[in-house]
Amino acid sequence: MIIRKLCMRQGRQLLALSRRAPVSSRFQSTLPETPVETLQASIRDEISRPENPLLEMVQAQYEASTPAQQEFTSDEPHRSNFKKLGTTVKSSYDPEDVIRNPPKPSQISLEMLLAAGTHLGHSTSRWNPQNSRYIFGIREGVHIISLDVTAAHLRRAAKVVEEVAARGGLILFAGTRKGQKRAVVKAASLAKGYHIFERWIPGSLTNGEQILGHCETKVVNALDEELPNFKADLADRPSLKPDLVVCLNPLENVVLLHECGLNNVPTIGVIDTDADPTRVTYPIPSNDDSLRATCLIAGILGRAGEAGQVRRLKMAQEGRTSYTPITAQELRLDPFTGMAPGGEGQKK
Amino acid sequence: MAWHKPTSLAQAMQSLRLTSTLTKPSSQASRTTLNTLRTRTYATEAESVPAAAAPEINFGAFSQKPARIIPSSPSYFSGSPRFIDHVLQLEALQAKHASLPTVATSEAPRMAWFKLAQFRDFVGEPVPMKKYKSLVKILQRLNRIQPDMVPVEVRDTLAAFLRPGNPYAVENVPRTVDENGRARGKGKRKESSAVVQLVEGEGEVLVNGKSLVEAFKRVHDRESALWALRCTQRLDKYNAWITVRGGGVTGQAEAITLALGRALLLHEPGLKPILRKAGAITVDARRVERKKPGHVKARKMPTWVKR
Repeated sequence: MIIRKLCMRQGRQLLALSRRAPVSSRFQSTLPETPVETLQASIRDEISRPENPLLEMVQAQYEASTPAQQEFTSDEPHRSNFKKLGTTVKSSYDPEDVIRNPPKPSQISLEMLLAAGTHLGHSTSRWNPQNSRYIFGIREGVHIISLDVTAAHLRRAAKVVEEVAARGGLILFAGTRKGQKRAVVKAASLAKGYHIFERWIPGSLTNGEQILGHCETKVVNALDEELPNFKADLADRPSLKPDLVVCLNPLENVVLLHECGLNNVPTIGVIDTDADPTRVTYPIPSNDDSLRATCLIAGILGRAGEAGQVRRLKMAQEGRTSYTPITAQELRLDPFTGMAPGGEGQKK
Repeated sequence: MAWHKPTSLAQAMQSLRLTSTLTKPSSQASRTTLNTLRTRTYATEAESVPAAAAPEINFGAFSQKPARIIPSSPSYFSGSPRFIDHVLQLEALQAKHASLPTVATSEAPRMAWFKLAQFRDFVGEPVPMKKYKSLVKILQRLNRIQPDMVPVEVRDTLAAFLRPGNPYAVENVPRTVDENGRARGKGKRKESSAVVQLVEGEGEVLVNGKSLVEAFKRVHDRESALWALRCTQRLDKYNAWITVRGGGVTGQAEAITLALGRALLLHEPGLKPILRKAGAITVDARRVERKKPGHVKARKMPTWVKR
């Protein structure tokens, strides 16, 4: 904007401007000797950025430990002591506990399930009548799932997970709701399985070549040690398929369950009163909207998988396997034709 | 079996060639070590006896037999396992070191993380922008840990996500008046762009080799061209040599205003508040809006016709 006729239009502002006249008169061009201290220069001096942060970081690694670090670590006992002061609260509920240290399948009790709220179903109007055998009754217009049925189905599912793990199967834990990520990752790490906590990409099983083709695989021995010698044989293999899928929210993962059905992959699913129990192989009738309930179920199944893995590795230590291992000969053959690679070319 | 592979076969042959004799029973081996101890000299030359090679690989052993083909990563079925593994690792680090004191974002060391394309090359997966941004958020949170308290593992992890080179090392040099006392300023308005060379002098102005009156017929344009000098009462203290290109008369005049204001700032930085208030160094970024298809002009729609 260009302001013209300054005196006429903005006389008042001009007066205000002239009050600060000493500032502007300092900068007369007729006095070039007077050093002009600019604000910019002073700021530039103050903020001196490290030249190369990467280099600095590498250098800092070689310093043993900084005084601040020593101080922080020396204060640690004080801090932990301070936290212990006061009353000790017993038998309190820690929401992190079920994720950090999930219970074993042998510890399943109706009290535990009740506390986690697995018995709460949906409003009676939303029910799927196929679930009637799991339903205990109606309370305030909400279906109540029978806890003993839940416990029985959960134990059965835990057994299935354990046996699949003991036979070296790939177990996929899928929980794509917002808060289920940590529980799913924890369960997968316990059971040495695999996890999905974001969207299931449709076609990962039916069109695996395209979607999982670039993901790395490896050949392991019975002790789960990688055998790098066989890396070249993995080049033209079809993508892997899970041997068991545990789905914590079957209602949102219709595509996953459909693909599992097409590929003959057994599934375990948390079935609420509004879900279709025939979509999964092993239903666990339970509340699937409570994070506490689904985290508990995921944790228990993870522990079951852990037990199965321990059993399998113990057998492997003795030199036995409970499954038919893939042979080097099979690895060498073309997985699609069953012929030796390049065999046809030699015949011609 | 792996022995059908050329590399392993060559290794086996190598081991055969190097070991002159097969491995002996343990009693014999102990006797030989005793012998060597007795005959040992203190000469500095290397011993002629080569070290015994490692035993042959037993390909028939249980631990060498393949058993299963499994995914390398627990995130295999997500379709982008390497990215998700990175995210999980960073989240674990963040949770582990959550109690460490932090500094404000402005005080944290400035880090040049991977650009999206570089990160895609780094993980080798087509990561969407939104997901990469969430990863960078975790990186920035880890970077905010008080600089002298950052654990080594955090340093190492963060360093892995830095793009090569250091873009922040290059500091732009502030413009100054050159050795001949000339200040150079550039300005743009509408389609015009102007370059002003400003030296101390008696108030002579040349626009494209012409005098100001020849270049601008309207008084208004002349006034706006020299507005920066006029509002600071410096009309008789500087000579300006101006080149202006493109656009119309008004655009050229106001491009000169901006260029002149910027050049004057190099001579007298203290004039900045006055020039700012007078509008001489304020950029007018408005340009002619493009014509769109289906419109008569930029926004005008064709007249509605009933049929």
